[in-house]
Amino acid sequence: MTRVAAGPAAPMLRATLAFAVVASVATWALGVEYALAQAAFVFTYAIAGLGVVLVVGQCGQVSLGQGALLALGAYAETLLALRGMPALLSIPAAVALGAAGGWVASLPARRLGGLYFAMSTLAFALIVEEALVRWESLTHGAAGVAVPPLAFGAVAAHSAFAQAAVGFGALALAGFACRRWVASRLGRAWRAVREDEVAAAASGIDIAAAKCSAFVLGGALSGFAGALHAHWIGYVSPEQFGLMLSFELLMLAFIGGARRLSGALWGALVVVALPQAIAVARDALPGDAGSASGVETLLFGAAIVAVILLRPQGLAR
Amino acid sequence: MSGLALVQVLSSGIAVGCVYGVVALSFVLIYKATGTISFMQGELLMLGAFAVLALHRGADWPLAAAVPGGVAAMVGFGAAVERTVLRRAIGQPHLTALLLTFGLGLMIRGGVATVPAATHSLYRLPFPFAGESWCIGEVVVAAEHVVVIVATAVLALLLTLFFRRTRAGVALRACSENAQVAALMGVSVAGMHTLAWALGAGLAAIAGLLLAPVTFIHPNMGLVALKAFPAAVLGGITSLPGALAGGLFLGVAEALAGLLLPEGVKDVVPYVLLMIALLLFPDGFAAGLRAAGR
Repeated sequence: MTRVAAGPAAPMLRATLAFAVVASVATWALGVEYALAQAAFVFTYAIAGLGVVLVVGQCGQVSLGQGALLALGAYAETLLALRGMPALLSIPAAVALGAAGGWVASLPARRLGGLYFAMSTLAFALIVEEALVRWESLTHGAAGVAVPPLAFGAVAAHSAFAQAAVGFGALALAGFACRRWVASRLGRAWRAVREDEVAAAASGIDIAAAKCSAFVLGGALSGFAGALHAHWIGYVSPEQFGLMLSFELLMLAFIGGARRLSGALWGALVVVALPQAIAVARDALPGDAGSASGVETLLFGAAIVAVILLRPQGLAR
Repeated sequence: MSGLALVQVLSSGIAVGCVYGVVALSFVLIYKATGTISFMQGELLMLGAFAVLALHRGADWPLAAAVPGGVAAMVGFGAAVERTVLRRAIGQPHLTALLLTFGLGLMIRGGVATVPAATHSLYRLPFPFAGESWCIGEVVVAAEHVVVIVATAVLALLLTLFFRRTRAGVALRACSENAQVAALMGVSVAGMHTLAWALGAGLAAIAGLLLAPVTFIHPNMGLVALKAFPAAVLGGITSLPGALAGGLFLGVAEALAGLLLPEGVKDVVPYVLLMIALLLFPDGFAAGLRAAGR
């Protein structure tokens, strides 16, 4: 079996160093405040990316519903925080709701293969999105809800520095948990299911349980990421968590290299930076401003296609 | 609630279901022949409708020439995209092809949205029957719905003839059943992949034309294709007649839900049905019915 994420420390060290270089260049180019705010987003995207890596990279299933799982976490955290629940209680609740969502989304297809998982998670995501729009008494519908800052007792994470620090701590926690899972019996079962379901079943692995656990843990990470992300952007609405986000997360895992945990961080860096690079590129192009959103969509699609054609195995290899 | 109103709701449900069914057909055709999950069928549908619109409005072709011209252009487009881009995703995991088609779909949607004329107003194709209604006995039905249903029936007949009577159709079916054996029998598998994408794009364009009388033509009309995924899965994912039947079923179910259930439930009915169907009949409705009949 190929060596996976929980490898020796040397690549991790190299990745940390490279990341430090990227961070210092970003700080120099963009200013400290802006770079820290972007770093906070990179960390939450990376946590959500870890969820995708577990489901897609480790267990080999396709999920089109990760965006909706983030939405569950974000809305749970927002609504509980608005009702005055302390963050140390509301964040675990958001994580639990994300995990429950992952379980429900995977339930219909747990005995079937890849395409059916994609379809049942897609259906789940569209149902969640519609429910968030329609359940106006709770979610304020399509108008969205303002999110209070993340607060632990009297200490609130107002500044970009505090948000980046909390995000980094959360990512370190999530990454540590993922390393343990991936190196455990559970992780070996996921990889066996990914490589060959029949052989895995013949070796005594409960395939349905393995897939289900990947979706539950992936959902928990998504709920965690969604809860923090809601605080960073300060406002949640159903459209932020639509199909586009699910595909962004898949792309994140693909770019970073879905089979490695560190891929989540690299992919997150690209996915956060890409829209800004596209905005710069669009300003450089001649033409009228009226069609700006169309050009951005076009360039985003072109970036996806280019990455897949040039590096079908992901950027990390 | 009167029987006449019910007939009208049903006719509109069947007409919308026909569109779902044809999109699902194009999706299943591509999935069976090439193993690629296409997430760009909605964009192909939208592009097809715009191609006909551009030929009619922009180039002043009569509608009778613009419709076949636009569909033929989309067939060519599908073949060209397969030859240049999609071919490289063959043999890669599901995820690669899924992301690739999604990226291409974004490019198409973004490309259409950059044309100012496409986004500034909503268009209709001026079909001669647009806005009329016909009386059959006491029942009044919209002409658009009847035309859509008849056109879908004709399309299904033509496809059946193609798959059963022509050499290319039989070769395509053989390729879907077992590509290796088909290759040994002298079928060009790569050529069949191109044919599948050409047909898939053409069918999506036809679905766009079927949808155009019911809704307007606009850059986001491709969202209707999201309903084609449940239709394809309900039909058993690898069955062409099943996909069409699944689409019809969803269209009718949606129309009835719009009539009987509260606002907003209608839009999620296909997805709820999909989740239930996956739980109860993991192999599709057809297999479920066979099992029940035994």
